[in-house]
Amino acid sequence: MPDLATRRRAAPALAVEALGYRYPEATRDSLAGVSLEIAPGELVLLAGRSASGKSTLLRAACGLVPHFHGGEINGRVEVAGLDAIATGPGELASVVGYVAQDPETQVVSTTVAAEIGLPLEMRGDSPPTRARAVEEVALALAIPHLLDRTVDSLSGGELQRVALAAALVTRPRLVLLDEPTSQLDPVSGDELIWLLRRLNEEWGVSILLAEHRLERCLAAADRVVAMAEGTIAFDGPPRDFLAWAQDADPVLETPAARLFSLAGIEPLPVGVRDARTTIASMERGAGPPPHSTCFGGAAGAVREPAAEEVQAVRRGSGSSLRQPSLVAKGLWVELMRVDEAHDVLRGLELTVRQGERIALMGRNGAGKSTLLRTAAELVGSVAGKIEVPGGIALLTQNPSDYMVRERVGDELPGDAGLAALRLVGLEHAVDADPRDLSGGERQRLALAIALAGRMGGDELPGLVALDEPTRGMDRARKADLIGLIGDLAERGAGVVVATHDVEFAAEFAERVVLLGDGVVIADGPAKEVLSGGWYFATEVARVLDLPGVVTPEQGAAALEAP
Amino acid sequence: MRSPFAYMPRRGPLQSASPGAAVAYLGALVVVAFLYSSPLVLVAAGAAAALAGMLAGARTAVRAGLRMGLSLALLIVVVNALVVSRGETVLARLGDWPLLGQVDVTAEAIVAGVSAGLRAAVVMVAAAVYSACVDPDRVLRALRPLAGRSALTATLVSRLVPVAAADAARLRDAARLRGPGAAPAGWSPLLRRLLAGSFDRAVDSAATLELRGYALEGRGRARQSSPVGRLRQRLSGRSAEPRSRFDGRFYAVAAAILIAAIAAKLLGADDFHTYPMVRLALGPAAITLSALLVASGLAPLRGVSSWRGDRSSAPRRGSRASLRWFLIHGREGKGTPREGTDAFARATRGPAAAPLPEAPRA
Repeated sequence: MPDLATRRRAAPALAVEALGYRYPEATRDSLAGVSLEIAPGELVLLAGRSASGKSTLLRAACGLVPHFHGGEINGRVEVAGLDAIATGPGELASVVGYVAQDPETQVVSTTVAAEIGLPLEMRGDSPPTRARAVEEVALALAIPHLLDRTVDSLSGGELQRVALAAALVTRPRLVLLDEPTSQLDPVSGDELIWLLRRLNEEWGVSILLAEHRLERCLAAADRVVAMAEGTIAFDGPPRDFLAWAQDADPVLETPAARLFSLAGIEPLPVGVRDARTTIASMERGAGPPPHSTCFGGAAGAVREPAAEEVQAVRRGSGSSLRQPSLVAKGLWVELMRVDEAHDVLRGLELTVRQGERIALMGRNGAGKSTLLRTAAELVGSVAGKIEVPGGIALLTQNPSDYMVRERVGDELPGDAGLAALRLVGLEHAVDADPRDLSGGERQRLALAIALAGRMGGDELPGLVALDEPTRGMDRARKADLIGLIGDLAERGAGVVVATHDVEFAAEFAERVVLLGDGVVIADGPAKEVLSGGWYFATEVARVLDLPGVVTPEQGAAALEAP
Repeated sequence: MRSPFAYMPRRGPLQSASPGAAVAYLGALVVVAFLYSSPLVLVAAGAAAALAGMLAGARTAVRAGLRMGLSLALLIVVVNALVVSRGETVLARLGDWPLLGQVDVTAEAIVAGVSAGLRAAVVMVAAAVYSACVDPDRVLRALRPLAGRSALTATLVSRLVPVAAADAARLRDAARLRGPGAAPAGWSPLLRRLLAGSFDRAVDSAATLELRGYALEGRGRARQSSPVGRLRQRLSGRSAEPRSRFDGRFYAVAAAILIAAIAAKLLGADDFHTYPMVRLALGPAAITLSALLVASGLAPLRGVSSWRGDRSSAPRRGSRASLRWFLIHGREGKGTPREGTDAFARATRGPAAAPLPEAPRA
C-alpha cells in the first residue's frame, strides 16, 4: 500500500466538489455548487466580475473559510489530499500558500528574512534548514538583496514578492493569489506574472490566480475558470474562454480579443505574441492560420494611420486656449526615506488646463502621488512653485478614509452637501450607512466629500485629482468611473488621475503625462504616449505597433482594408 | 511616515549582537542611571548611550531620543521647581497659586529636578538606541519559547503600532482634504474610525499568522529539543541559532559597568545631596566612574578600518554574507575583484587542497 506522501503526490493539487458557502449574517450564498479540480503543475486563471466569488473560493482552498471567517459551508475541498474543511489553515500551510491583494496586510515581522522564514519557524524547522530555504526562495524570486531590509522600507512590488516568498518557502503544492498585481505598476505586474510562470514550470507548483486584468496573465495560463454569482460559468482553455466571454460576458474580454472580434478575425488571441503571429501571417499574404474561420480584410490588411491623423492627435484639442488649473514650475519636493531625505520631484514642469482629462503615469515611486499631494498642500516643496488657481479636490487611494460617520447625510449636511451628492449621483443615498454602499458608490461619496463647498453653484474646483482610483475594480465599474470623469471635465474641471492601468488611461484620458524619477519624461496625447512604448502601452498598441492606435476600436479601424 | 525609533538593520556590532547581549549592555547604563543621582555620572551614562547609538549608526534615533529626553527633563525641572519648596536658596517667591499654595522656587529644587530629569533622559536615549538597533524579530523569537501567548501579543502589537501610525497619518490627510461644505471630521469620529481600522488590521494580521502556521507552533516546538537541551547545546557551542562574535564584548562591558558602578557607589562616588543645600562631591571615584562610562560608549565600535568612512553595502571579506554578495556581484565583499575572488576561493577550498598562489602586490 503506498504511503501517505506518495498518495498526496498523486492527488490533485486542489479538488473542490459541490462547494456551497455563506458568510455569517449574509443574505445570499457566496459560493453555490462549485466543483473544480486543479492538476499538479497547472496554472489556472480565475476570472470574473467583482463579488463573483473568486476571493471566497481562494479562502476556502487555504482553510480561512470557514475556519477563520465562520459561516455555513457544505461540499468538499481537498488540497493535496488534505481535507481543507476538517483541517485548519495552520495544518494546510505546508501544502498551500496564499498571497492576498494588499501585501501590506500580510506581513507580520519586521525584517524580510524573518518574514520569509516565519512559516518554517512555526513548523519547527531548525535554523540551518530555515536559512537554506529562505536563501533559495530569495534567489528564486530575485530578492536576496532585500533579506536584511525592514518590511516597511519596501515598495509595493518588493513587498508583493516578499509575500510570495513567504507563501513559497514551505515548497507548497498549491499557491493561491488574489489579484496580486492590482497595486503594481505595469513593469512590476508583468514581472510578477512571468515569475509565477517560471516557478510553475521549474518547481512544478500549481497556481490558482484570481485577476481582473486578464490581458496581463491570460497568455501565461494553462486554463481559465470564470465565476459568476458564486458559480462556475466557464472552465476551459484560454482560447475557448475568449470565445465564451465574447458572447456570455464581454466585460471579461481582453483588449486584443476585442480588437480581433471587432475586426472579424478568428481565432481570438490569448496574448500579444499570439495576435502578432496571426497578423504577421495575414501581412505575409499567407492568410489566416488554418483554424481561422473568417477574416476582416485582404492580405496586408493593417493600415498605417494617415499622416494627417497622427498630426491631429499630436495637436490635441486646442486645450491651450483654456485657463490653467494647475501650474508647476521647477518643482522640487523632498521626502524622508529611512534616515535620509530623497528628492521625489526634481524640477518638475507641468501645466494642466480646465476641462483636460489627464492620466498621470509612471512606475511605483516615480512621484505621481507626491505631485498630487503637493498640489493639495499635504506636502511642501523645497524649491520651485505649484499653483492651483481654482482650488483642488483630491481623492486619495483609500476612499474609506473620508468616511467617519454612520450616515451619508451626516457626512454632507446642508445645501452644499446635497449639491455634491447630486453631482456624483448619490442624492438618493442620504440616509444610507456609507459601509452599506458598493465600492463604486463609496468612491463617489468620498469624491463628493472632497468637492463639497468647493463648488460655486454648479461650477467645480479648477482641478479634480484622483489617486489610483481603479484598484481592484472590474471593467464594468471602470466604465462608470470613466463616465464620471467625463462629466467632471465637461463641467470645466481639469481632471488628473494617477494610475497604473494603461487600458483605463487609454479609455478616459486625452493626454498622458509619464513621470520617471521625479521628472516628466513624456507628455502628449494619450494615443501618442500609450502607443510609443512597451510597458506603458496598451495591449492593442503592443499588438499593432502603430502610432496613435491604442484602443480596440481604433485598432479595428486600422485593420480594415485600405 | 517612518518612526525615528524604528529598527534599521545594519551590519554594526550592536545590531549583530544577540538581543541578550545588547539588552545587557544598554540595560547596564539604565541601571547606573537608577543607582546614581550625581549629575556628573548621569551625564556620563547619557553620553555613553548616545555615543553607542551614534557609533551604531542610529543617529536619527539618538537625536529623537535626546530631544524627547531633554524635553521631559525640562518638564520635570519646571514641575519640581513649582511643586517642591524645600531648600534654603530661594530664587523667587511667586505667591499663592491655586492648588499649589505658596510657591517658592529654590535652587535646590531645580537641581533635584535636573537630577531626576537627567535620569529620565538617560533611559529615553538608551531605549531609543535599543529600539533602533535591536531586531524585534530576534527578541520575539527569543521570548517565544518562554511565553508563547505573550510573544504572539507582542508580535501583533509590534506590527500594528507602525501600521496604526500610518493609518492615523492617512486619516489626518483625508480630514484635511474634506471640502468646506462637508461636516468637519472631528477628533471623536476620527478616533473611532482609527480604532475600527486597527481592529480590521488586527484581523488581517491574525489571518496571516494562521496561514503561516502559527497554530502549529506548539507542535513545532515539541519537535525541537527541550529548554535544558537547548541550554546544553548553547553551552557546548553547538547551538543552531546564529551567535555574534561581539556578544562577549557587550556582556563584558555590561559586567564592567555594573561592577565599577557598585564599587564606586561603595567608595562614595554618589555623594550628592540636594536638600537642604546642594552638595556634590567630585572625588576620584566619581570622576573615574564617569570616564569609564563614557568609554563604555565605544563598545559598538567595530574597528577603525572597517567603520570609518566606509559606506559600501558590501559585506566584509570572509563573512558569511559575502557568499551571497559573491553570487550576485561576481566578487566577494570589498577589495579588488581579484582579491575578492581569491578570498572566496580560499574560503571555499577544502583543507586538503593545494594552497593558492598569492595575489601580486602593486
